[in-house]
Amino acid sequence: MADIAFLALSVITIGSAIAALEMRSLIYGSIALMGSLGGIAGFFLLLDAPFVALFQLAVYVGSIAVLILFTVMLVKRELIFKKIEDQRRKYAGIGLMLVLMVSLGAIFIDSGIKTITTDEPPVDFRDIGIDFVTYYWPALILMGLILAGTVTGALVLARRVDVEVGQRTD
Amino acid sequence: MSVIAPDFKLSGFIKSLLDNIFWILLLFVLIGLPAVFMILIVIEMPIIDGELLTPFLALSYLVNPTRTLPVIQAFMTTDIFRVMAFPGFGFAALLAAGTIFAERKMMAKIQLRVGPFYCGKFEGILQLMGDGLKLISKEIIIPAKADKPIFWAAPVLFVATAAAFVALIPVAPGWVVADVDLGLLAVFAVIGFFPIITILSAWSANSKYPFIGGIRALFQMVSFEIPLILSLLGVVMVTGTLNLSEITASQSNFPWIVFLPIGAIVFFIAMLAELERIPFDLPEAESEIVAGWLTELSGMLYGLVQLGSYLKLYAFAALFVVLFLGGWNGPMVVPPFPEEIITEGIEMGPITLSIEGLPLLTQEMLNGTLWFVLKTVGVIFFIILPRGVFPRVRVDLLLDLGWTKLIGLCFINIFIALGLVYAGVLGPGGLQ
Repeated sequence: MADIAFLALSVITIGSAIAALEMRSLIYGSIALMGSLGGIAGFFLLLDAPFVALFQLAVYVGSIAVLILFTVMLVKRELIFKKIEDQRRKYAGIGLMLVLMVSLGAIFIDSGIKTITTDEPPVDFRDIGIDFVTYYWPALILMGLILAGTVTGALVLARRVDVEVGQRTD
Repeated sequence: MSVIAPDFKLSGFIKSLLDNIFWILLLFVLIGLPAVFMILIVIEMPIIDGELLTPFLALSYLVNPTRTLPVIQAFMTTDIFRVMAFPGFGFAALLAAGTIFAERKMMAKIQLRVGPFYCGKFEGILQLMGDGLKLISKEIIIPAKADKPIFWAAPVLFVATAAAFVALIPVAPGWVVADVDLGLLAVFAVIGFFPIITILSAWSANSKYPFIGGIRALFQMVSFEIPLILSLLGVVMVTGTLNLSEITASQSNFPWIVFLPIGAIVFFIAMLAELERIPFDLPEAESEIVAGWLTELSGMLYGLVQLGSYLKLYAFAALFVVLFLGGWNGPMVVPPFPEEIITEGIEMGPITLSIEGLPLLTQEMLNGTLWFVLKTVGVIFFIILPRGVFPRVRVDLLLDLGWTKLIGLCFINIFIALGLVYAGVLGPGGLQ
């Protein structure tokens, strides 16, 4: 059962990743990217990490992909892209990807990861939370500071001074 | 009186019904029964309880409650019943349909109009059925330069996403389609799909008004998701769980709106914006951009989007009830099932009918459903009420409200929740 699900998810993820690269239409490409990100969420579900899977869906599919879609829709793509059709480059790219993936897969299988068996229950999200506020607290605080800095920077960059016109603004 | 069908006579209607029944019976006896028996020669029937299952036996099983009740009871525990009928799609669609009618009638009363009046004998109660038939029978017009696959798929996906949202809502103890351990996070993941579908539908129509409406919808939904999620953090902190059933069960003494009123208010406002209801109905502003992102949809595609948006309305109202108003918790008002029917059976003159498998539904489940439906209907009333009261807000005011005021209020709410937990009022050792 898990093997079939794994195979189906692999086909969805890799297939839509290839589609995302190869599609002529940018919109369909970004939809395919969504499929790829959703497939990764499925892998997390298979790995007994529903917390990460749902965040993957909410953040990557729900927000990042929307931003990409939104940007693509607002761009007049004919003006900034020139078509470069080069068969040799394309096949070289596909061949390189195949070599890379086969060698990575060989390394993974050779590393003995298939012999590991575990019947531990999935990690509870409460444990993750407790770990974060006890052992990993410096990392948590660092992340919080970086996020706060990023948000503040974005607000500063996006701030604009409204020129007073006759129209009421509030 | 109806003026649409002036020649209508009730007696004529009943006569035509009786005519139809007569002809159906006659045809069944003359053609149907011989055909059934001819087929039965070929088919081998199973043996049940040592008796050969003949057609007569099968028909008598159908009218025998002692035979059919266990079958119904077994069916009610299956997943397909949960998905299709009770806590899932059928129940939600029924409430959503009721919402549409109540909304039209209520808007009319607020604006001193009559509203739906002619369909059906009383106050236009058949208006919804008429609208549905109209939508089904209308042609689906697709714009010439539309992107057809997405244009067709978007309304279906919209309803599917709304149904997935409905599936996460617990209605009564144990009555939920998908009892996910991380239910609240699953809700956020599902909500994230609505802006994608909206903007894809708007883009695929290849028309100006839908695109403007879609971009407005995207802005609005994405920016109000943040206060929506933050306003629920307080509830998660005081309950310590993300499972919606456990959150509901934790409110047996107090609903969380008592302790976290700011979170409830923020959630309600963000909910209005997510649902594109007045005063935040910029994506569908009918006086500015025709019908917003719904402009090019026609026929049943429009019907599907309407169904989806009212399912979404029900689901959000139910989520508010589950998180802040205590869900199924409430005083026991449903009377217990009479004992003597279970032990002795029903006396009907000379015979006594004792049925196994009663009661079909437990008292807790009926009581929980009753309270849940009452509260949800109340919240739906408050969602549709602003439509008759408020004007539409401007885009910049809307975004300003979402990004500054509501997020600030969310943080106040989180600190209140933290204070309550650390002071020992709630949480372990506290009231709950």
